[in-house]
Amino acid sequence: MEVFLQTLVAGILKGGLYALIGMGMTLIMGVMGIINLAHGQMMMVAMYVTYVLFHYMGIDPYYALVVSVPSLFLLGIVIQKYLLNPLMKVESILPENQVLMTVGIGMVLTEIMRFIFTSNYVSVRTSYSSSAWLAGGISFSVALCIAFVIAVALTIGLFWFLIKTDLGRSIRAVAQDGEAAQLMGINAGKIKVITMGLGAGLVAAAGTLLLPIYYLFPDIGGPFTRRAFVITILGGLGSTVGAIFGGLTLGLAEAFGATYIGMEYEDMIGLIIFMLVLLFLPAGFKGLTKV
Amino acid sequence: MSQYYGRLLLLAIMVAFPWLVPHPYYQHLMILVLMWVAIGSGWNLISGYTGQVLFGAAAFFGLGAYTAALLAEKLEISAWWGLPLGGILAALFAFPFGWICFRLRGPYFALATLALNEIMRYIATSWESLTDGMVGILVMQTFISKIPYYYIALAIAAGSILAVELLVRSRLGYYFVSIREDQDAAESMGINTLYYKMVSLTISAAMMGLAGALYTNYMGFVDPNVVFALHDISIMAILVGIVGGVATVYGPAVGGFIMVALSELFRSGFFGGLAGLGKATGWPFMATVTKYVSQAHVLSFGILVILVILYLPNGIVGDWDVLKRALLFRKRQAS
Amino acid sequence: MKKTANWLAIIVASTLICGGLAFAAEPIKVGVVLPLTGAQAKFGEIEKNSFLMALEAFNKAGGVNGRPIELLIEDDTGKPDVGRSAVEKLISQDKVIFLTGGYSSEVTYAICQMAQQRKIPFLVTTGSADNITEKGWDYVFRISPPVSEYPKALLSFLKEVVQPKTVAILYENSLFGQSGSKTFTKDCESAGYKILVKEGYEHGAVDFKPILVKVKAAKPDLIYMISYVMDAGLLMRQSKELDLNPKLFVGGAAGFTLPEFVQNAGEAAENVFSATLWVPNLPYPGAKEYFDNYKAKFKIPTEYHGAEAYASMQVVADVLKRAKELTPAGVREALVATDTKTVFGPVKFISYGKKKQQNELPTYLVQWQKGALETVWPKNVTTKPYVYPVPPWKK
Repeated sequence: MEVFLQTLVAGILKGGLYALIGMGMTLIMGVMGIINLAHGQMMMVAMYVTYVLFHYMGIDPYYALVVSVPSLFLLGIVIQKYLLNPLMKVESILPENQVLMTVGIGMVLTEIMRFIFTSNYVSVRTSYSSSAWLAGGISFSVALCIAFVIAVALTIGLFWFLIKTDLGRSIRAVAQDGEAAQLMGINAGKIKVITMGLGAGLVAAAGTLLLPIYYLFPDIGGPFTRRAFVITILGGLGSTVGAIFGGLTLGLAEAFGATYIGMEYEDMIGLIIFMLVLLFLPAGFKGLTKV
Repeated sequence: MSQYYGRLLLLAIMVAFPWLVPHPYYQHLMILVLMWVAIGSGWNLISGYTGQVLFGAAAFFGLGAYTAALLAEKLEISAWWGLPLGGILAALFAFPFGWICFRLRGPYFALATLALNEIMRYIATSWESLTDGMVGILVMQTFISKIPYYYIALAIAAGSILAVELLVRSRLGYYFVSIREDQDAAESMGINTLYYKMVSLTISAAMMGLAGALYTNYMGFVDPNVVFALHDISIMAILVGIVGGVATVYGPAVGGFIMVALSELFRSGFFGGLAGLGKATGWPFMATVTKYVSQAHVLSFGILVILVILYLPNGIVGDWDVLKRALLFRKRQAS
Repeated sequence: MKKTANWLAIIVASTLICGGLAFAAEPIKVGVVLPLTGAQAKFGEIEKNSFLMALEAFNKAGGVNGRPIELLIEDDTGKPDVGRSAVEKLISQDKVIFLTGGYSSEVTYAICQMAQQRKIPFLVTTGSADNITEKGWDYVFRISPPVSEYPKALLSFLKEVVQPKTVAILYENSLFGQSGSKTFTKDCESAGYKILVKEGYEHGAVDFKPILVKVKAAKPDLIYMISYVMDAGLLMRQSKELDLNPKLFVGGAAGFTLPEFVQNAGEAAENVFSATLWVPNLPYPGAKEYFDNYKAKFKIPTEYHGAEAYASMQVVADVLKRAKELTPAGVREALVATDTKTVFGPVKFISYGKKKQQNELPTYLVQWQKGALETVWPKNVTTKPYVYPVPPWKK
């Protein structure tokens, strides 16, 4: 029983972070139709920002959020404005150019970080990095719990933004029907730039929250990009609510898979879920509901 | 007519290469180039011409490589049988692969192929009783000299290019391109898009599987992280295709050459030139420069991808006139 | 035109200078293959520095009859096929008569086959998978113990002090992890310890709690982990968070002996044991000096990989001095006859069991005590007594 409960807790807590990662990507996918294969790499950059702030200035990661999120927001804006938006005007045989461009961006980001920080593993050890609450034999990692709470807060904030503010509504409009939105007077190009920034900011938060309990090196981005698109497909394109369920589902699937099937298959489980969803439920969770 | 002369000249140079450049090291690099030409041509067929962008080329390459390796290790037949068998097995694998992935479009197809690639890699790592897992499989090489390998690679590469050229000019090629341009319109015109997509994938898979089997025979060592590698094989195949030129017959040839040359150029510090310069001049910072240069090859790939997509979206061959204009224009300004 | 003339002059001058230098005291070229970039770059760096330190000392002392040795160090980037390209260059372009290096087992294995085929002797520095010296390759020699022997000291400690009944084995899914877990399993079975859990994991996992909780439920006496440093750090931290208290935790070298491990795991590293191949206080000539000199020169401590590299260079120098002729065959002959002492220990290539041309050395058991790595077994080389029984986390 203890094994089951511990696995459940591990899955949910991890799932919260995954949801945050997935939400950024699904927003980008919904509004721009781009699969951002540099998503994990952006998270990596945010983690380095957090590391630098901690290592050289002693700033706790939770405070570093205030710096890492806006910096990645800016990075996202720059990338979209100068590298991705121009692609819409480029005449090319393959429509998949945007995806390939993000692959290139991901590679450049990784190598630049490797150049600055070398391939060495680094980590951030705070007072709470290893502490855990033990309740009834189940361990709750303090850092993961705080991360979960902040992730929930950010999600609520995001929803409020999308539903209540003009800008948020414009984003949803462009996601629903880009041309119609433009006819209504919305500057689709500007919206896309902001959305990329938003997506990058969200994944930056996830990275900053993750760093105290994990570690960092330049190649860390790849597996997280992979998880991000599994979550996005699971949840359904552009559905932020879907991404939440997707994140939790993946977190739980990985945890239960690791415990009951074998930890070597952890990554494969995500991939198999991905294939199954693509095949049998292409609209993801969103297709099951009306959200 | 002049086209034929150009190509005959190229063929002649390629055939004479081992005698023109008797250095095993450069021959080795050329063999890699030829291998990539074959892989790139395969990729180009399904992605460039048929518009189904494959992100999981390594699934077929690795399958071909492991076929050859397992034949040698488990059945004790020469790994050369892996060439035809690897190609056939990869082509057969195209059926379930396509069945799973072709119901998806565009980026979803791409992601599905990526997922399948990773799944193949996991299977190869975990199914130790079949593949020896991470230990990998060693195959004793048949020839010590590179020259036989060179000609075999040349035959495979030339064959791939020829196949692509013939296909593109044929009816099949016409169907492929119409699927790429507008799949629904093609379907409504009565073209069985699934069938032709499968045909395209099968042929591409065969080419990549063949290249994989060649890899086993030449390199002599396969393991899951090498032959099913997402970055080093699948993404590299895409780079070869887009840098050279999607949907052009000779694009992969140009792309293969550039990518291999760039990668080795950086890794070896301009073929040892930087180190030599450092020694000759005695400048201490040359050591650091060499170190950074050797690390820079992936960075150069990334930047190359970005530049090519932005400015030469149809690759060097596809956008040759754009490139020509850019180079000539600069030259004119200089004088 | 003038510019071209200038360039031409520079090229000619450089060539003449290079040619002149070449005639001076023609160095003997030895190839070294290491991961200088990529994920293993850190170890590659330590080994490269150690090789160069030993090289400098040797050349200063006169080299091989007045001729210096030149190390041509190539980067394998951690990938077997790049390693092969690098060896290709060393053999055909640089025409080396002797190869050494080899860090990752996969890369080493791939390179060895090439060296064997081209008949260039290869002195393996680190690559530890057992099969590297089990293939009967007569051009391959290994100075470092194979991974199956890493736990030798641990096994004697277990037999004399701990006598566990049950064991859990966790290993990373790489060649090093897979082969290490297989051999340790055999050792446990022959010692009569029952294996309750044996699981591999994919390097880079975020959360080990599911598998650790399974291990906790099984209540093993000993938990043996074969991991690289970051996974090792997480495994220990999360074990502490789960309040997982076996009789002892043991790491199978690699990740558990680096300073990064204790930096990352903090208090969770306390009292963790690890197998290791070398410690600076061993009574081998030059061992302590090597450790101190390295720290003074590079500001960070060295560890067993560095010692392996330094010792490899010592063997290379010794072999080249003794070789009757400076050809690959001559070098090989001299290698076979090697019987020398290095900072890593005595070196003699013998054949035993399935192994051929393998140097056989004892291994050691270390334990983290108050943030410092102390040698605790065998009894004749300890720096501090071992702490056992280990107090539980909630001490």
